[in-house]
Amino acid sequence: MSSRRPPRFSTFAALVAPLLFSGATAHARPTSRTVELTLTASPARLALVPGQSTDAFAYNGQIPGPTLEFREGDRVVIHFRNNLPETSTIHWHGLHIPASADGSPLNPVKPGGTYDYVFTILPGTAGTYWYHPHPDHRTGDQVAKGLYGAIVVRAADDPLASIPEKLLVLSDNRFLTSGEVDLQHHDSPQALIDEQNGREGDVLFVNGQVIPRLTIRSGEVQRWRIVNASAARVFRLALPGHEVLYVGSDGGLFERPVPVKEIVLANGERAELLVRGTGTPGSRETLQTLPYDRYTPQTRPANWNAPRDLLTLQYSDEAPLAPVVLPSVLRRIPVLDTAKATATHVIVLSQGLINNKTMDMHRVDARGPLGATEIWQIENVVGMDHSFHLHGFQFQVLDRNGVPEPFRAWKDIVNVPKHETLRFIVRYDDYPGKWMFHCHILDHEDHGMMGILEVTPQHRGRP
Amino acid sequence: MRVSSRAPYRIVGLAGSLALSVFLIAAWTRTASAPPVGNVVRGRSIVLSHGCGDCHGGFANPAAKGWLAGVMDPSQEFKIGPCYITPGAQPCFTTRPRNLTPDNATGIGRFTDRQLFNALRFGLRPGETPDVEITSQTPGKGNFPVHPHYLAPPMPWMSWRNMTDQELWDIAAYLKRGLKPVVNKVADSEGPPDFWASEFVKPMYGTYPAAAFPTANEKQP
Repeated sequence: MSSRRPPRFSTFAALVAPLLFSGATAHARPTSRTVELTLTASPARLALVPGQSTDAFAYNGQIPGPTLEFREGDRVVIHFRNNLPETSTIHWHGLHIPASADGSPLNPVKPGGTYDYVFTILPGTAGTYWYHPHPDHRTGDQVAKGLYGAIVVRAADDPLASIPEKLLVLSDNRFLTSGEVDLQHHDSPQALIDEQNGREGDVLFVNGQVIPRLTIRSGEVQRWRIVNASAARVFRLALPGHEVLYVGSDGGLFERPVPVKEIVLANGERAELLVRGTGTPGSRETLQTLPYDRYTPQTRPANWNAPRDLLTLQYSDEAPLAPVVLPSVLRRIPVLDTAKATATHVIVLSQGLINNKTMDMHRVDARGPLGATEIWQIENVVGMDHSFHLHGFQFQVLDRNGVPEPFRAWKDIVNVPKHETLRFIVRYDDYPGKWMFHCHILDHEDHGMMGILEVTPQHRGRP
Repeated sequence: MRVSSRAPYRIVGLAGSLALSVFLIAAWTRTASAPPVGNVVRGRSIVLSHGCGDCHGGFANPAAKGWLAGVMDPSQEFKIGPCYITPGAQPCFTTRPRNLTPDNATGIGRFTDRQLFNALRFGLRPGETPDVEITSQTPGKGNFPVHPHYLAPPMPWMSWRNMTDQELWDIAAYLKRGLKPVVNKVADSEGPPDFWASEFVKPMYGTYPAAAFPTANEKQP
């Protein structure tokens, strides 16, 4: 441990107000620094839909919460103040940090309480992450009331650093005619459907706005970081007539760009896209979410197969820019070797259950030694999709129904479609402790579709 | 959860205090009390004599292709609702007998004997009901789910539930360990999701256990 204190930056260095589609501001430098900031969760009365005000919960008074921007190597100190009338936590979804800073339900913060989340952003972890509450049984309601925000971690050697950047935080919500968030009594017919499907809203938001406008110049290439912060909705994103390169997911960039026509972004997942502005000056296009059938037939919503508009891509009147040459190689992703795996965990997902059990905070469902490489086999045995999230460690999907994954990517959450078996490989690096794994359909999580992995400090795996 | 090459459960070391260890031991004993083990041969006899194969495949011939492997042909599907009588009438739900063989992905391989027992005794869908002993029929009590999810009609569990406990364990044993797994993915049944919970159905099928003998329709011989 060095006794030299790294320079301390002001709160504002990292707490960037989420101006809609604010571009990348700071160019990442390979310096070590400490970023210290305060996040306060409080009740707030905000205008979430036009013409109405809503009793909401907000981080620092805004929805989505402030976008947190860190650099690899940063030491981060976040002072959390819980001014809510109920217990909460902040979970830094996808960040590889100590268990004590994970904001899991094992470390609840009572009303009026505070908690300091202290962690270091390790090299190689640049990517798009997000944060949200994770209290036992109450995550869905607190996120629905407005508690979610994005995290952007930058690398000093980002191959796409020169490309203009936009952040799109996708979410959905449902409101009563009074303007209040529609959280149904748990015995109502709609609540039973929510419990089954996960709560979906009819109002779709991008950065807290309904069908906002994003401008692009003809010929320009933009890097879109997209976060799906909804409780259950799976977005199937398509931008007609445009060349889109899929360049990254939960844990950052792929090894090389992948041309796509559309991407499926499950709840909790993130994506990085390069969008090439091939439209003519003054024209416009619409980013849509297309139908995706993740539902069990009994409770499939009536309008599930209607495409929905998300945002308008407006071309400026400026003359087209010269074509931009994009890198064909982004970075190297280390291979996790299946030959070194020392155990396979079989995880059976059914409706609301993991391995036929509901969550017990006093039970450990899986154990693995620190440093070990292990395979997780996730079997969905029921007729609806479940998104599976492992805390603390990024993993690599190996195969789906025996078909090898086409390219390597760091993931912390993966959608497991109905009646599909998927395998991933993970190495428990750096941080022992108890880690949650769960369905990220928040209603399912809150009803106990969650288990605990204990990474034990004794070292029995390979070095 | 199956973890290879490792002891399945360790209490020592978790117990930070006497109270905690007492709690953990209590929890361990509860989960460790294994449900009764059924008899595969008796289970086969019950399955044959109760017409399970009439819907789930193979009729009464265990040598038939598709024996208990679920819908393989649209003629095995059911139409539930007025369309059963008048084609095209609404509402109309299609239900499909499931694959009862112990294939992990498409059958009942990942459900425990107790989940199958609970399906036959209480009509609870095994994929939506935890592996726990149910001691009540009141939602929220005795491990009965607060919001029960039932098997799709016309699965006649309301009659089959009157079998003895041992007979239900025998059926579970036969399905889990007396059959070879068959890979046959059956599309999920549509609603009506709460058919068996409806007030329309309940009086028709009475209570469990059934009313004491003799009722007004019956007499002592």
